Amino acid sequence: MLLVTLLCSCSKSEPLYQEQIFALGSLVEISLWGVDPALAAQASARLTEDFNRIHTTWHAWEPSALTRINEHLTRAAAFSVDAELIPLLTRARALSLASGGLFNPGIGKLLALWGFQSDERPNGPPPDAPAIAALVARHPGMADLHIDGTTLRSANPALQLDFGAIGQGYAVDIAIEHLRRLGIHNALVNASGDIRVIGKHGKRPWRIGIRDPRGPGILASIEMQGDESIVTSGDYERYFKYKGKRYSHILDPRSGYPVNGAASVTVLHDNAIVADAASTALLVAGANEWQGVARALGVKHVMRIAANGTVQMTPLLAQRLHFEAAPAPKVELVAPL
Amino acid sequence: MTTRITGADAVVIALALILLPYLYLTYWGGAATQGEQARILRGGQQIALVSLHEHRHLSIAGVLGPSLLEIKDGKIRFIDSPCRNKQCVHSGWVSLGGEFAACLPNRISVQVVGREPRFDSINF
Repeated sequence: MLLVTLLCSCSKSEPLYQEQIFALGSLVEISLWGVDPALAAQASARLTEDFNRIHTTWHAWEPSALTRINEHLTRAAAFSVDAELIPLLTRARALSLASGGLFNPGIGKLLALWGFQSDERPNGPPPDAPAIAALVARHPGMADLHIDGTTLRSANPALQLDFGAIGQGYAVDIAIEHLRRLGIHNALVNASGDIRVIGKHGKRPWRIGIRDPRGPGILASIEMQGDESIVTSGDYERYFKYKGKRYSHILDPRSGYPVNGAASVTVLHDNAIVADAASTALLVAGANEWQGVARALGVKHVMRIAANGTVQMTPLLAQRLHFEAAPAPKVELVAPL
Repeated sequence: MTTRITGADAVVIALALILLPYLYLTYWGGAATQGEQARILRGGQQIALVSLHEHRHLSIAGVLGPSLLEIKDGKIRFIDSPCRNKQCVHSGWVSLGGEFAACLPNRISVQVVGREPRFDSINF
């Protein structure tokens, strides 16, 4: 009887509010703990507005504030933009420069050439090598974007912005900020796998499963500590196949070709936009250079899984990450960052 | 009448003690990571809660037309949907508590619900 009582106690209802929102061209999952249902509904409506505004403002291939900026960037003349656009532009520029240009939101033309600026996955051969080389040779990068107050100027007509690599992280950070302003302190927001949590799930921490980059299951799990984000970039997220070869949507700005050395990079950090930019930059970085890039970006919790399955991890993440897959993969611990 | 524990009783008690943790771990521990049910949502609103333990096909009306779902052996997947990309179909089976799959254009999504979900959310 005691056992039955104990087992039943597990299934009692919990003050957990969960909602899925179709936004950001994706599905955003919101979990709130211990929040009055009316406030939860208000928060959900607020976040839906936020996500829709971000989506329409920063869309890279449908008419948006960003496509208007990109039109101006093809010309050398300075132009003004709304002040609300400046924080993301400034943040993206700083993160790009810190990553040595490996996270480069200035390669919109390359992404378009590869067919990744589309709602449909590319279907056909990769672009011609000379066309890729020609764009790479023009070296578009965030150093070419000059920001002075609300005035922008491009020093390179090949510069075209695309914030697809950090848009979800940016949105998740804004969502958490707005939840806090509404007085909500225990929450989880997941936009296309990019997660940020605050507080706890009741008396225990929020628990996150990390998907196996090469299989259907969960590779590992982690308990989040207060306000933290976890983001994974992988070659399996958006890609197309041509003649049996997989082409990831994450491009190496140095070569103009999709990344092929790493299967995934997971980054744990205070905020989602940094984790997002870092996971992209570290996926692009080679096996021997990613630690230097991580250091430059100020991230200390990293797991990098190479295309051949080799797992490298920083000691701080290894202390907290628990492998769910059996047998657990062999992990190479790298020096602390 | 005196009560004595015989050798047979001891064996039964020993077996029970051995079996109990096994049953607990099988049905409440490891297996609890597998989802028991799935929420089916239209436009983010739950329209059904279905068991994952019977083999069946479901047709769910979305904004573009019907999405077809298959449930089998504790798993659920999209087998067809009136979208162009078929990303939902390509994403395959989901079975772990907290996992979800969605047809964005048709606004239909499914989320696996476990007894005590092992994970609150999935990072990918």
